[in-house]
Amino acid sequence: MGAIFQYFKNILVGFWNLILGLSVTTKYFLSMKTNTQQYPEEKLPLPARSRSMIKLIYDGDKDQFNCVACMMCAKACPNSCIKLEGVRDAGGKRRMTTFKLDFSTCIFCGYCVEACGFDALTFVSEEYENSVYKRGSLLQDEQAMKWVRPAHLAPKPEEPAKVETSAPAAAGA
Amino acid sequence: MTGEKIIQTIAAFIHQILGAAGLSGIIFIIDPVLCAVAMFGFISLFVMFLVWMERKVSAHMQSRIGPNRVGIFGLLQTVADAVKLTIKEDVKPIHRDVIPYTIAPILAFVATFAGMVVIPFDKGIVVQDLNIGLLYIIAITSFTVIAILSAGWSSNNKFALLGGFRSAAQIVSYEVPLVLSLVPIIMTTGTLRLGGIVDYQAGHRWFIFSQQAIAFFIFITAATAEANRAPFDIPEAESELIGGFHTEYSGVKFAMFFLGEYIAVIVSSAVAVTVFLGGWLPLPFLGFLHLPGFVWFMAKLIFVIYLIMAFRWTFPRLRVDQLMDFGWKVLIPIAILNVLATGFVILLLEGGV
Repeated sequence: MGAIFQYFKNILVGFWNLILGLSVTTKYFLSMKTNTQQYPEEKLPLPARSRSMIKLIYDGDKDQFNCVACMMCAKACPNSCIKLEGVRDAGGKRRMTTFKLDFSTCIFCGYCVEACGFDALTFVSEEYENSVYKRGSLLQDEQAMKWVRPAHLAPKPEEPAKVETSAPAAAGA
Repeated sequence: MTGEKIIQTIAAFIHQILGAAGLSGIIFIIDPVLCAVAMFGFISLFVMFLVWMERKVSAHMQSRIGPNRVGIFGLLQTVADAVKLTIKEDVKPIHRDVIPYTIAPILAFVATFAGMVVIPFDKGIVVQDLNIGLLYIIAITSFTVIAILSAGWSSNNKFALLGGFRSAAQIVSYEVPLVLSLVPIIMTTGTLRLGGIVDYQAGHRWFIFSQQAIAFFIFITAATAEANRAPFDIPEAESELIGGFHTEYSGVKFAMFFLGEYIAVIVSSAVAVTVFLGGWLPLPFLGFLHLPGFVWFMAKLIFVIYLIMAFRWTFPRLRVDQLMDFGWKVLIPIAILNVLATGFVILLLEGGV
């Protein structure tokens, strides 16, 4: 008798579970909620720190590039895809004249951005459709890479490092 | 104007034209041909709509959009797919068994399409209301197993052969509960004619609202298995057998199998609507709307097909042994119990045979 009871109970429980499953899918079907991004028509803003494109920062106030042609980026580049030249102007300050970055060999490792000590090279997130029709278009010069940093992305002054004053919590109990 | 009147008017008009052309002698040929062409056109369009609907249903169940590029709401996506399939190269394996290989897709399509003959869409709108309609449908749609077996065998491909064998085991097993679930209806109504079963439900309750609801669920489950659809799609399990029996088919031949599968869904859903959901009868509390019976029938048909689609996109595929367990240890005993209980009730109510 117990076995027969168990048999029908199993069937009923299984049937109820199937109904539960169907209710979940039907709920999603009726809600008509979609998470699809229809890419060419709608574009998601990328995170501000995403490595999408390398740009040369142009200072609008001084009307010149931040770059001083110190060659640190060219030395840091593992593929040697950065070529740049600079001159010393009348005031004795170094100034960049030509800057060429060959994106066909660039691997976006970011070493040049790290090496730059004058806040002249940076990754930008808003420009990420980098494909071109001709291979020659991948060799970009300073005019193509010119980028004026918008105000909301201006670097914040570094906060002084906090010194841990309190003694570390008792680790071993 | 009811649907029956419209059909009769059209028929009279065609007969009049034929009579005027002096061709009244061949009316007995023209009539069935016209019926077949009309049914084929309707079925093709409806299958295209169903493919679109299935893609939309599955998409929204998974928080996607689904086809939305070709035509409004992507409605012409299936048309584009059909055109692509028909102009595609027909790749054939060299060591195939030519005759079964060629016949199989045709048989898969014809066997299910022939089932549409006895489906009553409205009172009087039926190609041929056979007095053995239910038996005819069960018999003719079983031919698909031959088509699938010969497709699996003649492809000369081990995955196709495995798919064919699995299909044979599955369809033979699920044929039994399918028929047994319909037996109580036949016992109650005393007719095998589908129109007669609907007429009986007009006078009584629909069978879904009586104790035959159990039979409805058994029928839907077995019909899903008959149509080789998920969760019973082990004959064509993509992750196990590549494509199963239609691995080696492409182009139009594949389209025939695809069409056959969808027509099988339509036929079994139409039988479920006719037998359990009152066919062309309006919903009990919406009878004041006075819509044509055809509209009610199609609405119920789409609801049942939605149910079968929801099964596919909700439940995981059964393992082969679980499939057999479920068929033989659950569905068949319940169906037999239902037959016995129905007979007992009839005996009590009528006080002896």
